[in-house]
Order: sequence, then C-alpha cells, then structure tokens
Amino acid sequence: MKRFLYCFLPFILLASGAAQDWVRGGTGLGVERVRLAAADFKPASTDAKNAELLKTFNDVLWNDLDNAGIFDLVSKSFYPLQEPGQPSEVNFPAWSSPPPNSSMLAFGNLGIAAGKVTVQGWLYDVKNQASPQVLGKQYSDNATTDATRVIAHRFADEIIFRLGGGVPGIAETKIYFVSERTGHKEIWMMDYDGANQQQLTRLGSISLSPRISPDGSRLAFSSINKGGWEIMMYSFDLNRMVSFPRFGGMNLSPSWSPDGKIAFSSSRNGYPNIFAIDGSGGNAHRLTNDKGPDVSPTWNRKTASQIAFVSGRTGLPQIYTMESDGTNLQRLTDQGYAVSPNWSPNGQFLTLSWMRKYGPGEPGSNDIYLMDIASKQWVQLTHDSGRNDFPCWSPDGRHIIFQSHRSGSDQIWTMLADGTNVKQLTFKGGNTQPNWSWK
Amino acid sequence: MAAITDIYSERAQLRRPLAWSLGLHLAFTGFVVFYAVFINGFHGTGWGSGGGGDAMGATLVSAVPLPANPAQTTNVLATESKGLAKPEPAVQEKEPEAIPIPDKDTKTKVKPAPVKSATQRKPEPVPPESNQIPYGEGGPVSKPYSMSAGGATGGFEFPGGGGDFGTRYAWYVHVIQQKVSDNWLKYEVDPRITDAHRVFLIFDVMRDGHPTNVQVEQSSGVPSLDQSAVRALQRIDTFGPLPSDYSGTKISVEWWFDYSKK
Repeated sequence: MKRFLYCFLPFILLASGAAQDWVRGGTGLGVERVRLAAADFKPASTDAKNAELLKTFNDVLWNDLDNAGIFDLVSKSFYPLQEPGQPSEVNFPAWSSPPPNSSMLAFGNLGIAAGKVTVQGWLYDVKNQASPQVLGKQYSDNATTDATRVIAHRFADEIIFRLGGGVPGIAETKIYFVSERTGHKEIWMMDYDGANQQQLTRLGSISLSPRISPDGSRLAFSSINKGGWEIMMYSFDLNRMVSFPRFGGMNLSPSWSPDGKIAFSSSRNGYPNIFAIDGSGGNAHRLTNDKGPDVSPTWNRKTASQIAFVSGRTGLPQIYTMESDGTNLQRLTDQGYAVSPNWSPNGQFLTLSWMRKYGPGEPGSNDIYLMDIASKQWVQLTHDSGRNDFPCWSPDGRHIIFQSHRSGSDQIWTMLADGTNVKQLTFKGGNTQPNWSWK
Repeated sequence: MAAITDIYSERAQLRRPLAWSLGLHLAFTGFVVFYAVFINGFHGTGWGSGGGGDAMGATLVSAVPLPANPAQTTNVLATESKGLAKPEPAVQEKEPEAIPIPDKDTKTKVKPAPVKSATQRKPEPVPPESNQIPYGEGGPVSKPYSMSAGGATGGFEFPGGGGDFGTRYAWYVHVIQQKVSDNWLKYEVDPRITDAHRVFLIFDVMRDGHPTNVQVEQSSGVPSLDQSAVRALQRIDTFGPLPSDYSGTKISVEWWFDYSKK
C-alpha cells in the first residue's frame, strides 16, 4: 500500500498544483465603474401592504447603490419591460446589450405573509451567462417600514461588499451631529442617508463635538455645565448619560482611537494641551506641552499610533501630527487657517477645513481639503460654496460628511471623497459638527 | 632559520605525488580517447538517427488537421461608444513567404518609438485617437463584462493552464483591477521617468481575500516603479473573500502595471 502511495505521490502533487487557479491582468490608465442595473423587486404576494413596503424597499435599495460611489447605475428608463423576480425570468441578452448594457443586475421579489416580510434578492453577472450568480440572499422580518428599510440596506451592503472589494457598505451606518432645532445645542443621530433623525441628549445647555466609540456602544462629547466644559458620555447600551471623570479646566473635542482610548484638549494645567485617557476616563496623561492652544485631536484610525491636531503655537491655527506618545511632532499645513482634521480609515489621508488665504485683503473661503500624509500633497474638495467645516470620513473611506453654510444656514452635507456627488442631508434648524460611526 | 628549513623540505616531498598525479592524468586521458575511438565508435549512433529504444520519433508534416473553432464570435460592440478597437485593416493580396510565428512572450517592454531625424521631411502621420487601441492589441470585445471593462488598458487575459477562475468569476477579477488601480499612487514613481514602462508582479489571494506573497516577477528597470507597484499591493487589506462556491483555498495572480506619463 505504501509503495502504491509513493508511486502516485508525484501525480497527486501535480494534481494539487494544477488545481491552483491563475488570474492574469493589469492596471494602466484606470478602471471603468461597474455598470449596474437595479430592477424593481416584484411583489410576491397580493397583501395590501405589499405595495407600500415594496416601494420603500426599491427606493432605499436604489439610493444605497447610487450613494455607494462605485457603480454606474443604469437609468431605469433603459430597462426591458419584463423585469425579473426570479432567476428563471432573467433575459440575459436584454440586460447585457444596449440600451441597458449593464454588467450586473440586482433583482428579486418581496412578499408579506403572516405579518412577516420576506425578501429574496440576487445579483447576476448578466454578461457571463454560464456562471451568472454573484449573490443570492433571503431576508425575513416584521412587515414594517423600518424593518423593510433595514433589509434594503443589508442587501445593498452585500452587493457593495462583493463588488467593492471586501469593504463593508455604509448603508447601516449612523451619523451623530449637533442640532439646535430645539433651542439648545443637543446631540442628535440619523441614518447615513439623513433618515430617522432623533434626539439623543436633553441637557438644555450647549453640547458639541459628538464622537462615537469604535464599537458603537458609547458617545463622547463636550458639554458646558456648572464646572465648565467637560467630557460627557452617553451609553447606547443604557440609552442614557453615564458618569465620566471630571478633569477641571476647559475640556473639549474628544476623539476615540481604534483601540478605545480617548484624546481630548484640556486646560487643566493652564494652557489647552492634548491629553489622552483610557476609555473609562482613567490614566490621564499629557501629550503636548506648550503655550499655544492645542485642540481637535484625531487618531490615525488604522494604526492608532499617531494623532493629528490643531495648534496655534505659531499664530494662526495649523495642523500638526505626532506619535501617540507625543513625540515626533510635525507640521502639515504651511499657511492660512487650518482646523478640524479627520483621519481616513486607511490611515493614508487627512481631511481638514482650510482657509488657505487668511488675513486683511485676502478674502479666502473655508473649504474642505484632502491631504496625503506621506507626501503632504493636498486636493481641494469644495469650491465657491460658503463656509465648509468639520469634515469626517465614512467608515468605507469613500465618503466625507461635513457642515456647510452654502444653503444659507449650517447644515450637514455629504460627498464622495473626490468632492463629487454632493448631497444635503439635514434641512431643519441649524445642524453642525457631524461624526460618522465606525461601522 | 628553522622555519626556512622546513619550507625547503616540504617542497622536496611534493615531487613524488606530482609525478604520480601527472601519470594518472595521462593514463585517464588515454583511456578516454581509446574508449571513444575503438569501443563506442563502432556501435554507437548519433542523435536524431531514430529507432532507439522506446523513444517516439517525430517527423515534420506539411499540415495539421486542427478542428475548426465552433464558437464564432460576432464581435458586436457592447457599448454605444466607438469602443476601443479599430476596424480590421484591408487584407493585402500578397503571397506569404513563410508561416508567421506568433510571439511567444508578450511581456516585452514597451519601447519608445525611434526618433526620426529632423532632416527627414515626410508628411506628418495622423495620430490615433487616445481612446483607441491598434487592431489586434485590444482583445475581443464580446467577453464577460470584466474582461472588457478595463479595455483602455488591454483588459484581462486568461490563458490556458491556469484553471477557469477568470471566466467563472470575472467580476472578482474586476474587483482586483479596481482595488489595485485605486491603491497605485503613480506619484511615487520617479518624476524623471517619461517613457513607458511595465512591471509584472505575482501574488496570491487567500480565501479571505487578503493578498500575500507579493513578488516582482519581471522588473520594469525603474526601481521606483517596481516599488510603487509593490506598495499598491501592500496597501490592500483585502479584495473581499473569494466566491463562496469556489472550492480552492487561494488564487495566484500575475498583474502588470503600465506606467506612462502621457
């Protein structure tokens, strides 16, 4: 038996080597976006509520795919009259050739039975008829509008995850912001697309700089009370404020590291400097030590080994970086008025609000910029559109949310990280200082 | 003084072994000549004379009856744009002198066009449109989408012998191209490089989608370009998990990076 095995060992090894698949290709001038068609899902039941939920589902799915920034969504006016609800109904040539000329097709059906909504969804590579299926999913939940929205978000995220190279979609992420629509500046939250806006805090004072923890369980922010500006903490596990240590002096702009530490600006020792504490508020230690005010720290979200912050030590505020222990201080911006740095999820870029020409006779505008940390090269993302401030990255690194006054009042806006596809998310009252959840 | 004496005595002791060595070398050379001429020369056969043992003889034939390709591609353009392919040039009536041999190695570096001297006054040739690829270099159009999606750069090739991953999961190959392109920072290449260069990398994509074993397979000759390509792969955490119905544990990827300042 052993001899038999030895005889065939080379062939077994060869066979295993042959099973190795090779892919060959290349990169040059760039890549076209995936041309995706999202057919309206078909009703799978005759329930009276089916049409309402189906419309919600189709609208949310379309918006999520459109907002993803990685697809070239085929206009619905190009679609064939017969839209599929099941794999057997897909007419490949009709979708893969002009006018839709799509590469991918998302389709499925939605039905209601016994108070439950059930959704079946597929993603097909319609130009690969031999092996078309990329994705097939089934969801079931209570037959409510909110649950249907969540299902649509999840299916969109699955598509984005598959075709976006393993980067999770943002359709289920949240945005935290400051709103004064109640008369006080309170912390609010909403879905990434501006839906489901709800108030979190009711402190009746001024609350600023909301920052959600990496695991999404707590929200740190700064608020003024009898003792002055302090770091406050809201728990999503308890749905209420929880106690947090008081540091004395003025404590502002908390920022979470990916491993759960918090950096913030504190004047407990006289001048506003950057301090770091652990997630429970203990082990406070100073990272900067100078007279110039140091504020708005932001951690490198990939490595947690660096912190960028704003310092006025040379006059006008500029962006600096340092190691997380306070060493290796470097200045990134060279002129103007630079504030509100925010580190990208891949650790490669900073986005900031910058008035590059500042001073008498130089009518500069506050715009959002993107800076490559390594090369210090920058790109201006907003142009000629009023004051823009407080940019913050989405967890997928494809979007930036920011505050803008372009509509006549301060509102929350979103755009792709290249400055395109700008959309307004809030409309009511004044809304500022947005912060995107980590996932 | 004692040391000098020792050296002279060592030299004296070498004479006998040297003589033996010379004699044995001569004897061995003589044996080889004798064997070649008188023993092997009478019944040995030269290479290529055929018929020996179980080896298979190969003879040249005038033609090989290969089966015709059953799938006739219509080559219909898939987009409303003019596309990337030029029409086939008119066939010239000319007797072929020999059977053309296709290029075996397509990895030849892109060479700059030879510079013509200023004294040659020829009519200025019409430059091709920037989004066109000369006939025969653009690949077929009627392929699964991701094989033609990157048409501006030549798209993908899936030569035989490497499994059918590329054809079954063409969308995944497009994901690889998208992420590599997104993470390749061309400003890392030496700005003094103005002509076209191409570097080949090989790497593996594991089941969970992360790239590993990144190596330069064929250098471009420009170290900064090679390095920028490797860094592009190092920046990528994952391409996304391999398709769930794919049975393999990893795929191997050969990827080229074309750099041109144009």
